[in-house]
Amino acid sequence: MADKNVLVLGGGIAGLSAARKLADFDIGVQLIEKSAFLGGHGIQFSCKATDKCVKCGACVVEETLENVVRHPKINVLLNTQTQKITRSDGQFSVTLQKNPAYIDPEKCTGCGLCFEKCPAHGAISRGFSKSNLPFYAISEKNCLFMKDKSCSLCQDTCPEEAITLDQKRTDHVCETDAIIVATGFEAFNPESKPYGYNVFDNVITSLELERTLRQESIVSRPSDNKPPEKIAFIQCVGSRDAKLGHLWCSKICCGSSLRMAKLIRSRQPETEMAFFYMDVQTFGKDFQVFYETVQDDIRMIRAIPGDIFRTETDRLRMAFLDNSTHEILEEIFDLVVLSVGITPGKDTKELADQLHLAVSDSGFLSPSENGIFTAGTALGPMSIAETISNAGNAVWETLKYLRI
Amino acid sequence: MGNVEIFKNLKMKKVTPLTEKTLVIGNGPQARCIAEELLAKDADLIVASEENAFVLPFPEKTEILTGVKIRSCEGSVGNFNLTLDKDGEKVSRIVENVIIAEEAVRKPNFSLYGLTPCANVISLSQLKESLSDDSRPFFKNKKFVFLTGLAKESNAVILEEIMRASLKLQSEFHAKTYILTKNLKVAGHGLELLYRRTKEAGAVYIKFTESQPEIHQQEDDGPVILTFTDDITGEQFRLTPDITVADETISPPENTSDLAAIFGLDTDPHGFLQSDNVHRISVLTNRKGIMVAGPSRDIQSPGEEITDTGNLALSIFKPSDERETASAYKAQINPRLCSGCLTCYSVCPYNAILPDTTASVMPDACEQCGVCAAVCLSRAITIKGLTYIEISDHIEKNTPQKKETFTPFLLAFCCKRSAARAHELASCMGHKLPPGLKIIEVPCAGGVSHYHIFLALRNNADGVLVLTCHEGNCHSERGNLYAHEQLNMIGSFLEIAGFEKERLLIKPLASNMSKEFAEITNTFEKKILDLGPSRFKMKKQDFSFLT
Repeated sequence: MADKNVLVLGGGIAGLSAARKLADFDIGVQLIEKSAFLGGHGIQFSCKATDKCVKCGACVVEETLENVVRHPKINVLLNTQTQKITRSDGQFSVTLQKNPAYIDPEKCTGCGLCFEKCPAHGAISRGFSKSNLPFYAISEKNCLFMKDKSCSLCQDTCPEEAITLDQKRTDHVCETDAIIVATGFEAFNPESKPYGYNVFDNVITSLELERTLRQESIVSRPSDNKPPEKIAFIQCVGSRDAKLGHLWCSKICCGSSLRMAKLIRSRQPETEMAFFYMDVQTFGKDFQVFYETVQDDIRMIRAIPGDIFRTETDRLRMAFLDNSTHEILEEIFDLVVLSVGITPGKDTKELADQLHLAVSDSGFLSPSENGIFTAGTALGPMSIAETISNAGNAVWETLKYLRI
Repeated sequence: MGNVEIFKNLKMKKVTPLTEKTLVIGNGPQARCIAEELLAKDADLIVASEENAFVLPFPEKTEILTGVKIRSCEGSVGNFNLTLDKDGEKVSRIVENVIIAEEAVRKPNFSLYGLTPCANVISLSQLKESLSDDSRPFFKNKKFVFLTGLAKESNAVILEEIMRASLKLQSEFHAKTYILTKNLKVAGHGLELLYRRTKEAGAVYIKFTESQPEIHQQEDDGPVILTFTDDITGEQFRLTPDITVADETISPPENTSDLAAIFGLDTDPHGFLQSDNVHRISVLTNRKGIMVAGPSRDIQSPGEEITDTGNLALSIFKPSDERETASAYKAQINPRLCSGCLTCYSVCPYNAILPDTTASVMPDACEQCGVCAAVCLSRAITIKGLTYIEISDHIEKNTPQKKETFTPFLLAFCCKRSAARAHELASCMGHKLPPGLKIIEVPCAGGVSHYHIFLALRNNADGVLVLTCHEGNCHSERGNLYAHEQLNMIGSFLEIAGFEKERLLIKPLASNMSKEFAEITNTFEKKILDLGPSRFKMKKQDFSFLT
């Protein structure tokens, strides 16, 4: 087998699976991730098992990530983006711009001292998986050293001398035989919706709930850290929305929100929960049974609420149409979870121009072949399992193209 | 089944040369799609079809067995020995891999809606067939009602077919379509857009939440009348369609349960040939070298069926991994100790045990879970990393020095896929863990035997934890359940002997549950602090059965 190299753009579950499968065929993989951590959205998800596994797939992301960072054929470049791509004689030449990591993964032991000492809010962030190496990252936006060199506390306190703040961005040129684009999705930003996101502390997104459950195991109200008595889930925020031109179902939100609701129910059994929806989508092989039992625990309300208001006691009031009485009802909740949809990545257009890829009417990438292949949610909404399958198929297409 | 019968049914062939052949089992488009894809890459194929015709573009490159039934399959990956029935004759083939790719069965839901099929009450498949036929003037200007997901939940595959049929009826026959459903299953690629298009073309969607339409069919072949109340306005409606179309339930292919038994495959709750386990994504089964695709493994849209083909090809052509565990690491059965009870054979999740007068392990199929070794009453099975000596050494090395104040010595047997990873993450996240906690990483909690537990207790562990994957998430499918049974049993024995069974604890934990890892171990430590130091004593001679 001739030495072949493939560039994989995106370190989420699609890119990780693709990289892993390519490496299994002894292909050299350059895995490019624009953020400081591998794992994409999936690595932030919580395990939603109560006593039994509910097949959300979050653990598979963890396992794939571990396999990728250990694989000798995969070279990971974090904080990196593509600048320019040229193609000649079937070879791609890709100019990559790599921002410095500032923390040396070889030296960092993950002790967390930098994270503790850093005086600037959000300047040092923490990974989600122990396979995120280094486990900490410095954000240029918030770091005081990057701003005016006024602080270098992390560098000075690091017992391993793993931190070097004075570093420059570097350009790399990478020659590759094929490219797999697995740049993932952007979660819908619900600020434009009348739900008071980023105005009221206790209105959060489903992604934020995933992270909370993953890290804290239980949920509390951001405003006062108290356990919420009543939680409302609002589905289809940014999906199936003609006004926004988002004519797609995000596919994963019914499953993830209902599974999280069940998880909260089992850990915080006093919590009352309501689920506002248009249509409940089928997810998982045991959906019929899941759907029947979930209705005992969670109030299913087929309505999408209107504006949300804050009450004097810092709770959230909303109105919706009650189907049985055909009247408008008002109800008060402590926490509102917005199930934000999957939308095309912000830089999809730019990337598509760079790579000469087609973009569909909905703004996602169209499937591509002939040297540049596409995988995962860059193509549209997919579950973790579907993304892994899709990435597998993209790898197969790549192998055929490379004549392996 | 008694041992004698098992032996009778499994006359084992002796070692045969390895082959690179792949057997594809199936009759329909999925099997054909796979065969074509693999043949294009020069795979060495045998296609086995129950039907009498199976046409492929390169017939000379492959052996096509039509009108055959699979009777038995012995051996393991690289060396599956199959017996097939062809016109009453037995045919044998040896293959490296097996792919099962049959077509799904569609059952119309007439009875769920109280309907009897007739000229004006048809199934979705019947309608699709009629629409693919060019001249159907009898659909012209007719009123169609589609019933879907009203009696039980439907899926995106069915809805897509209904919407495509509706669009065709509207555009080509100026028909009027009504779609009655509970939850509109638009979670498929492009379905929301298709839904809008059908609406723009005039389709009327009526969604029910708590109520149901009343469906009356006058006589067995008479017209259908539907009456219902609109959920939002509360108004009463009545519909009298010319043609009523019932949706369908998609079930596994008819021969699925036979194939599951022949190949020793776990199935999902509906009987599809793949357990509902995330470790099987996307075309894998509990057996190495046996893959399932398309409608044999789940309800699938045509797009997903193509994806399966690509994933199958990856599995078939994947070069053998040099780093793959050498056979020295696989389970080993000492024939002098084996009593031939075949407990190992009945529990092995991967069908890696070869039953004979004594059992032996097929190393290529073994995934080193250790379940066999844990249940072996003769202690004839050893597996590297789980042997008495290794675990004993490990515990002794980790036994903390006695301190003046009581610090409970907690030994946690952690599954390498879940709890051991959760422990690492808990350390990364800086969660406070009990100071006397020691971890023993095991390939599967099902590999933890009572010997290991007693070893821990004899080595002065004040508490023993077994941390497993969640039910339905075990790579060895049932290893975690065996572990639960095992620990509960030991607990009850200890209780009879007057020992606190609270010193044993078993919990499920996922790899990403760092906070929960800390909570479980800290709560356990508190419990052991209340109980005080362990009084477990075992004299050397009492322990001789372990050595």
